[in-house]
Amino acid sequence: MDRYQFEDAISAYLDNELTLSERKAFEDFMNVNSEGKHLVDSIRANMTSIKNLSDIKASNSFMPNLHKRIEFEKKRPSKKIVNRPSKTLFGFTPLYASIMTVLIISFVTVGVNLWPGAQAPANTIPAYTGNISGAPNKTLDHPTIDANQDAILAEAETDSADTTIQKKKNFKLGNQVKFVKDQR
Amino acid sequence: MNQPSPNLSTPPFLMDNQIRYTDEELIARFQKGDEQAYTELVIRYRDKLMTFVFRFVNDMEQAEDIIQDTMLKLYTHKHYYRNIAKFSTWIYTIAGNLAKTELRKKKTRKVTNISQMGPEDRDYELPSVAPETDEVVQSEYIEKKIQAAIQNLPLHFRTVTILRDIQELSYEEISKIVEVPLGTVKSRINRARLQLQNELKDLK
Repeated sequence: MDRYQFEDAISAYLDNELTLSERKAFEDFMNVNSEGKHLVDSIRANMTSIKNLSDIKASNSFMPNLHKRIEFEKKRPSKKIVNRPSKTLFGFTPLYASIMTVLIISFVTVGVNLWPGAQAPANTIPAYTGNISGAPNKTLDHPTIDANQDAILAEAETDSADTTIQKKKNFKLGNQVKFVKDQR
Repeated sequence: MNQPSPNLSTPPFLMDNQIRYTDEELIARFQKGDEQAYTELVIRYRDKLMTFVFRFVNDMEQAEDIIQDTMLKLYTHKHYYRNIAKFSTWIYTIAGNLAKTELRKKKTRKVTNISQMGPEDRDYELPSVAPETDEVVQSEYIEKKIQAAIQNLPLHFRTVTILRDIQELSYEEISKIVEVPLGTVKSRINRARLQLQNELKDLK
């Protein structure tokens, strides 16, 4: 125990709040340091003096004056005597509770409207996925723009809303499809 | 307002066939409309609170006004008390808060009181009403010195010192009254005692 720890523990020692081991350490320090013992003794003496300070009594006119003030308060029209605390809803006053309710309802309504896919309009244009020409590139997680795709991008940028491009390309199947009649 | 005014003249320390009610029982009775229970509570607490508030503000008249306000608040706001805390904690909190407010007001007004003037400020000496013995003079001197030392403590130290060393409340109750953690109360009491020791070392 050092000097600072000793000073911090003085009140706990005087109020019997220390554990047995702490008390022993405190007393060991006090026995070695006479200055510490003097400090504890003088604090104890001060505590006794403070405890022995004379009690202060209310004057004889205290009760009649209080009686008058109570009567006055009762007759006062502007200031009512509170018989019940104001009602609260989950800790909110009615005003704040209604404001909170309105805010929560607005928040939920806006949230539902903004939620993706919740109420998508029928004529929504599909979002650009980064791969217009054909099947998605499975090796890449994210669409990238390289030299080969520039042309596609340029084409896409000319009319990004034209979704028939894909269909037009898919119809050029001349070399791959052979009709049954041709084979005969 | 047709409520009957409390009978403040008779001190009913023991009500209803010598049953001694606890503070919490009394406030519960008062909340149900028993005005005698209010009088009993006022009698129980007026002097305790007077000591607490006087040591706090160092002005007898002001202390009495604060206690009047506290008791009036108890009357007008009786339903604010909830039986989750001790009644003493609640009433000390009200008195302490009113005292602090009054001290703040006083600070802004900066009124100089004769009793607060130093001897060099006084133009005249107040005549003593009776001859005093050395012992009385000595004890008055000590009391004044201690009171002055308490007044020199910062407000948060002063409150805990009065509640602990004069009112002899427990650490737990003080913690609830001043609304700070138990550890903070202990630390404040310790530091306040060290500061008081420093100011009163020439007393013995």
